[in-house]
Amino acid sequence: MLRLSLLAIIIVVVWIEILPYLIPKKTKQIYNDTMLRETALSRGMAPIPQEYDKFLKLLDSKNNPITKEKVALGKELYFDTVLSKDKTRSCSSCHMLGKNPHNKMQFLEDISHPGTKTDCMVCHIKDESGSDRLSTAIGVDEQTNPNHLNTPTILNSALAKYRMWDGTVTTSLGVIAPMIHGKYTMNLSSEKAEKRLKNSRVYTREFKKIFKDGVTFENIAKALDVYQKTLLTRSAYDRFLEGDNSAMSEEAKKGFSDFIQLGCKGCHTGITVGGQTIQKFPTRNYNHIIDVTGIFSRKYIGRETAAFDFNFKQYQRFPFENKGGFLGKNNQQLFRVPILRNVTKTSPYFHNGAVFDLREAVHIMGKYQLSMELTEKQIDEIVAFLHSLDGEIVEYKELK
Amino acid sequence: MKILYINLDILFMFVSGILLMDYFSIAWSYFRVIEFLHIFGSITVTILFVLPFLYKHIKESKIIMKHKSMSGLMLGFVLFLLLLSGTYLFIIGNRGGDIYGALSYYIHLYISFVLILALVVHQKKFFFSRGFATFTSVIVLFLPSYSYSKSTKLTNIVFTDGAKYHHSIDWTNSATCKECHPKIFKQWADSNHRHLADSNPYYMVLENLAGMDKGEKFREWCMGCHNPSAVSMHQERTTHFMKDNVMPEPLFVKGSKNLINEYKAHPNRLEQGVSCIACHRITDAKPAGNSSYALNLTKRKKYLYEDSTAEMKVWISHKLINAKPKMHKSEYMKPLYKKSEYCASCHNEFLPHSGRQVVATYEQWKKSPFNNPKKPKEHKDCIDCHMTHLEKGKFSPLQGSSTLGGKYKKDIKVHYFAGGNYFLAGLKNKENESQSIQLLKTSAKLDSKIDKGVLLVGVKNVGAGHKLPTGAADFRELWLDITVTDSNGKTVFSSGKLDKKGDIEKNSIIYNKIFGDKNGKPVGLFFWRYEKLLKDTRIPAGKRVVERFTLPENLEYPLHVDIKLNFRIYPQWVTNIVKAAYPQLTDPPVITIKELEKQFD
Repeated sequence: MLRLSLLAIIIVVVWIEILPYLIPKKTKQIYNDTMLRETALSRGMAPIPQEYDKFLKLLDSKNNPITKEKVALGKELYFDTVLSKDKTRSCSSCHMLGKNPHNKMQFLEDISHPGTKTDCMVCHIKDESGSDRLSTAIGVDEQTNPNHLNTPTILNSALAKYRMWDGTVTTSLGVIAPMIHGKYTMNLSSEKAEKRLKNSRVYTREFKKIFKDGVTFENIAKALDVYQKTLLTRSAYDRFLEGDNSAMSEEAKKGFSDFIQLGCKGCHTGITVGGQTIQKFPTRNYNHIIDVTGIFSRKYIGRETAAFDFNFKQYQRFPFENKGGFLGKNNQQLFRVPILRNVTKTSPYFHNGAVFDLREAVHIMGKYQLSMELTEKQIDEIVAFLHSLDGEIVEYKELK
Repeated sequence: MKILYINLDILFMFVSGILLMDYFSIAWSYFRVIEFLHIFGSITVTILFVLPFLYKHIKESKIIMKHKSMSGLMLGFVLFLLLLSGTYLFIIGNRGGDIYGALSYYIHLYISFVLILALVVHQKKFFFSRGFATFTSVIVLFLPSYSYSKSTKLTNIVFTDGAKYHHSIDWTNSATCKECHPKIFKQWADSNHRHLADSNPYYMVLENLAGMDKGEKFREWCMGCHNPSAVSMHQERTTHFMKDNVMPEPLFVKGSKNLINEYKAHPNRLEQGVSCIACHRITDAKPAGNSSYALNLTKRKKYLYEDSTAEMKVWISHKLINAKPKMHKSEYMKPLYKKSEYCASCHNEFLPHSGRQVVATYEQWKKSPFNNPKKPKEHKDCIDCHMTHLEKGKFSPLQGSSTLGGKYKKDIKVHYFAGGNYFLAGLKNKENESQSIQLLKTSAKLDSKIDKGVLLVGVKNVGAGHKLPTGAADFRELWLDITVTDSNGKTVFSSGKLDKKGDIEKNSIIYNKIFGDKNGKPVGLFFWRYEKLLKDTRIPAGKRVVERFTLPENLEYPLHVDIKLNFRIYPQWVTNIVKAAYPQLTDPPVITIKELEKQFD
């Protein structure tokens, strides 16, 4: 009996130890820079244009043409708290941006003149992240989102196909009305918004100059939409796609190659690197799996599944706390794929902002969407790639 | 046949135990697994097989058959001793706090040889007939156990030298140390070393400012000492915790509760600041400064499950450590840690771009009378003041054990890290504040006299092995607060008072240094712009400086003179700036280091 049990243990242990050598490894293609670029471009990834005419081609619409004056008006409205019920919130309260994103001394000015900004803003406005860096958005009357939803970044969102976490809004113009009307965002009706702006002489004059029919809610939305469209960022990644091999580090290129080959780009695709589709999350369910691989292996230490563990934990819908209980489109755990441009600046992650660490987020995506235990090195490289997506807002001279 | 199995069981326990002896000094990767197999294998085997067999065997031979066997009695006695000592080692361990631990350890070790002898004597007949079979089976049984330990790559924690990638799990969270070292953890939890990075508002503002002024990369200069864990992970900046939408109050929470809760919820999240392991895994340190230390995180000899977060495994790892804590001690405590050079690796700062010395605490100590290796009685290292317990204003080494059940020590090196910064620690814990203030009060002495209408005040640095004040001395205020009243009680002279805004009034005597930039303007918060030294009135160790105050003429004697040597950790203007980002911050109180009241006739 004893001998049998010892023998069994030995067999199990040996099996576990040699298993990694027996499993065939999928061959990974090694791209050189040109191949990497070509592959990326052929899969629908594209740089954000630096030239104004290309920008117009991408975003201009006949119903609402982009003009310099309209952008200026939109910017004015974007930073104005007049559009919220209690006049405490503007668009920029949650989609945090500096009025002058290229002012390097902003931080010094803010700390030496206290009272001009809220405490978080003092440090985080220079992130230029277009999000509030909070777990969940705070709207008028200090109300938080009832579904505990996190603010996605506004940067580049004009180029996305879907908006909102459940992907219900499909045009960039369509997103503005629900934000202004929403009870937990700015909570102002169309009539009141019009009335408030009509009371302001400056706004009335500006609107008259640009629109035939003056201040109407539709025009407010149009002006904001046009400003929103100018909030595009360019980064090392864009320069790489345009042909500059030195723009991205070697590590980032490896990460990019992984990003394409492991399957991340399947969803995070398009010019925005995300935001183009609605997908299920999580696609894999590990709730009842007993995993003993790597009991003795250093390689797997630190991973959730690979450590010797009987999953006694409660059933979890998400690989993180289900704060707010939001279940996506039709309650089927269908979510809009988030835009990965500037992702390093928009923590916390996921729809309810439950994950604060980018590496953890990458790990979760690998495991729950792709059934892969990414190695530490792979995560490092992918994070390096994500860093190369960090950009600065493009300034088109024609709009200045 | 059954007897053969029992023999195999005992041999298994014996051989696995013997392999753990220091004499064999087997590779750590084998050790940790064999230790686990020995302890938990023995428990299983003894309870399931050996004890039932013994019960039956003794009952049969002693009670039913009435055999008389001396070797049997001896074997039984030896087994009993082994069981007893083994149980003690398992439940309590050999932690050094009591004699029974060591006693059990040696009994367990040496009696096991007696056991084998007794076993052979007891089964003479049996042994010689089946000896060969036993021997071969043992070989067969133990070969496989080697075969899986052989691939050191999988069981061993060794990374290649100069590990390029660290995972946050390499930075064993300090909350795990709390279990066995609760006292030390408690001292450290509110100390300045714990709150050097993400939970220190002054640091956060300054790091952001440095990033703004010198480029984001420059943050690494700060982080090398303030936040080594983030540097090892190639993080570009110090980040602070968030709990949902709020920053868990970093200023007023006692006992690092945030850290503990955070660890429970997210055991793999990186701990920032100077954690236990950041100091206790330093293998080499040079006094050059700017984080000139060598860390070895990955080539650590860990006991099995030492890094685990599952409760069961943590419990097992405690058992394994307690049973033979030698390796744990030698891995986390090195003779280097008692030397001043070790502290100097961070408490010396220079600007990377110009090489100018910003903080030279170690150099100051080296020149001071405290550095006197020839006379060990006068020689005092950093830890002799900054890590020694104070009570009622005097050094009174803390006695007891630093570890649960550990050795009794006459001088526990306390981890309050008492020093100049009484303020941030004091917001959380009054004990930490009191330790710092007591230490500050030992540092200086005052004397005074009046000579021809001039008040002479002598300030002597008697207690500090470095200049007073040291550190980033632009942001430290040590000044003389003087009030002179005449016979009518009327104030005839005063200096060094705070104005309404909280600043020290002009023309006061302040002991500090002021950095100037290349244009000769004070650098303010941007101390990395330092090019010219504008002022240096700090008092070197053991030196006395004399200040002269001309009193108004025609005074009515006797004069009453009240002299205070005041200290404030951050000037008001610095606090005001930090408050823009951390509105909940309070103003640092002024500490009176020494007070002298004197009557002049």
